[in-house]
Amino acid sequence: MKVRSAGSGDRAGQGSLRAPFDLDRAIARLLTLGTYLSVLLLTVGIVSMAAAGRWPLQSPGVPGLDLARLPGDLAAARPAGFLWLGLLCMIATPSARVLAALLGYLRFGERSMVVVSVGILLVIAASVAIGLSGSGAA
Amino acid sequence: MIAGLGLIVGGAGAGLFGSLLGLGGGVLIVPMLTLGFGMPLRDAVGVSLVSVIVTSSASASVYLQRHVANLRLGMTLELFTAFGALVGGLLAYLLDERTLAGLFAALLIYVAISMLVRHDPRAGGEGAVANDAETSDDEEPPSGGRDATARLSGPGYRIRHIGPGLVGSIGAGVVSALLGIGGGLVKVPVMNVIMGVPLRVATATSNLMIGITASASAVIYLVRGGIDPSVAAPIAVGAFVGASLGSRTAHRIDLRVLRLLFVGVLGYTAFEMTRKALLL
Repeated sequence: MKVRSAGSGDRAGQGSLRAPFDLDRAIARLLTLGTYLSVLLLTVGIVSMAAAGRWPLQSPGVPGLDLARLPGDLAAARPAGFLWLGLLCMIATPSARVLAALLGYLRFGERSMVVVSVGILLVIAASVAIGLSGSGAA
Repeated sequence: MIAGLGLIVGGAGAGLFGSLLGLGGGVLIVPMLTLGFGMPLRDAVGVSLVSVIVTSSASASVYLQRHVANLRLGMTLELFTAFGALVGGLLAYLLDERTLAGLFAALLIYVAISMLVRHDPRAGGEGAVANDAETSDDEEPPSGGRDATARLSGPGYRIRHIGPGLVGSIGAGVVSALLGIGGGLVKVPVMNVIMGVPLRVATATSNLMIGITASASAVIYLVRGGIDPSVAAPIAVGAFVGASLGSRTAHRIDLRVLRLLFVGVLGYTAFEMTRKALLL
């Protein structure tokens, strides 16, 4: 089976009787899912914030991100829970796309693209680590 | 309530303009939040990065579905833009507001001028993909780079000058993280002019890349408390609606009129940001 992706430098699928695995489309579906899920969560957060009589830029604002408190906020249908989860989903969607590409390239033995994918994920991990160390120091 | 609606409408306007003109919404969202809503510039940049991710994910899914974006090339370059974004995200916390405002004003002036002299990519139609960046045999890469070049090239075009392209990608990442923009303004010319990627493929691939670039720096802003979810959420939802609307109505709108209007908005915003940089 061949992997199909624009920029493969070959004509994917040509000369092959088996349908190529379409990595581009698989990633497109993942991006669509991540975007719709994030927008849905953010919309629920906005509506529940408005229902509670709170608006953007009001003081006191939405409590800061606290992963330990997130499940409780969601269970209690607090706006902060939906807003933070929606933002986390949104920010994680591109990384999920890279992870999906990594799995695809691993499956088809494209070592150079595996290295590139791992490198991107390492940079994202470094961002999280640096952000955490900076917030701890602050 | 007015603030909430204003943010949604503002986000929608930025998403609409962005999708119609091939830009991320950051160049509009950051000035709107700082000048219109009085947010500190660094907080506005954090919010803007979220909307850039929304725009990227929504549009990249369409471009990948249609096999316009070059996934291999995009991922290779975004390794370097993500690194640049990491550096830029850290620099943003070292520079003061006036410097950031001055840099942003310079960016707006650059965008306004490039919009005025820009060729409309849609004018070339479908054929533009194959025609606007011909493969040049006189620029063969060194033997060691041939495999990589072939792997990253696409139907009808061959990549060239990978090294300068990677350096340009790092620069795009730094600018993106510092100013809360997608960085397409840097990435598209780097891919099209330096690397020989057809304009339509470069635009689509840039859309794919800006999500990772923005998320690498958004993580830093998020963890350091630089993103207010009550502001980011309406902006993101608005940008999603605006970008979706823009992609469906693009063919009905006279882009020349829109571009002139946009240049006027950018010119005024650049003036206000310059004042902010000088008077803060």
